Amino acid sequence: MSVSAEDRSWTGRVRRRAVAALPPEKLLPDKQPSYVSSWIYVLGVVSLSCLVVVIASGTILALKGPEWWHFTSVGHFFNSIHLWAVELFFFSMVVHLWGKYWMAAWRGGRARVWITGAVTFLVAIPCALTGYVSQQNFDAQWISTQAKDAMNAAGIGAFFNLMNFGQMYSYHVLLLPVLVVLIVSAHVLLVRRHGVVPPFELDEKLALARAGMVPEAGGGSAAAEPEGPAPGVDGDAQP
Amino acid sequence: MLAAVFNLNHHASYVHWHSISLSVSNVLVIAAMFVVFFAAILLPFPRGSRKGSS
Repeated sequence: MSVSAEDRSWTGRVRRRAVAALPPEKLLPDKQPSYVSSWIYVLGVVSLSCLVVVIASGTILALKGPEWWHFTSVGHFFNSIHLWAVELFFFSMVVHLWGKYWMAAWRGGRARVWITGAVTFLVAIPCALTGYVSQQNFDAQWISTQAKDAMNAAGIGAFFNLMNFGQMYSYHVLLLPVLVVLIVSAHVLLVRRHGVVPPFELDEKLALARAGMVPEAGGGSAAAEPEGPAPGVDGDAQP
Repeated sequence: MLAAVFNLNHHASYVHWHSISLSVSNVLVIAAMFVVFFAAILLPFPRGSRKGSS
């Protein structure tokens, strides 16, 4: 049996595995299960949008430098955008976490989705901390001196010196954002691969029971349920 | 230079509970997170068509 050129090349093998794991209709879907029509599912994309604004505003701040963000009105504005985008990012990410926890979103083989989400949260915290100590103002100096005591108490002060501005700024501008973006990308790709977790079966059974209690005169169809996210699925649901 | 909408030139007020010490603004943000969470679960989502796939 002859071996084709595609089988011999690692790029062909990687391509086939990637397409098998994430075919185009999963990578870029154009429909979603009906149960995704709920506001709780919006918080993930709100977090992503905030992250995009954080990265974009942070890039501009890095290009222009602290003289610009402290002493010009436009620079101060971008500094504020960066800060408040981070605040909204953590706000929406934590509410997203609450929603995913209470709907047990690791069900159905989605453990890695949960893990990448949790690791993103844990990596984003030092990313924000290194940003706070990089502000080039007195507040940043206060935070760095106080947090240095905390790092020393935790035993990592020799490796992570919050009063070493060069180290902290480099962590904040390069190392930690790259890590956050990589893990978030893995998180989103895993969601695409496994699909959005469906609601608990109990909810589905309760909804069917409620539909069964609808009077006969109104039509006995389960589709007569008036409002709220439908437990049954249309389109492309993956259990 | 425009004055801040809120006067920030005073000490923050803190809420103490055992070893936990939170500023009032921090408590308000946490409360807002709870509000958003329950609103996201309870508020109806606008639907373009009755049969769901979008």
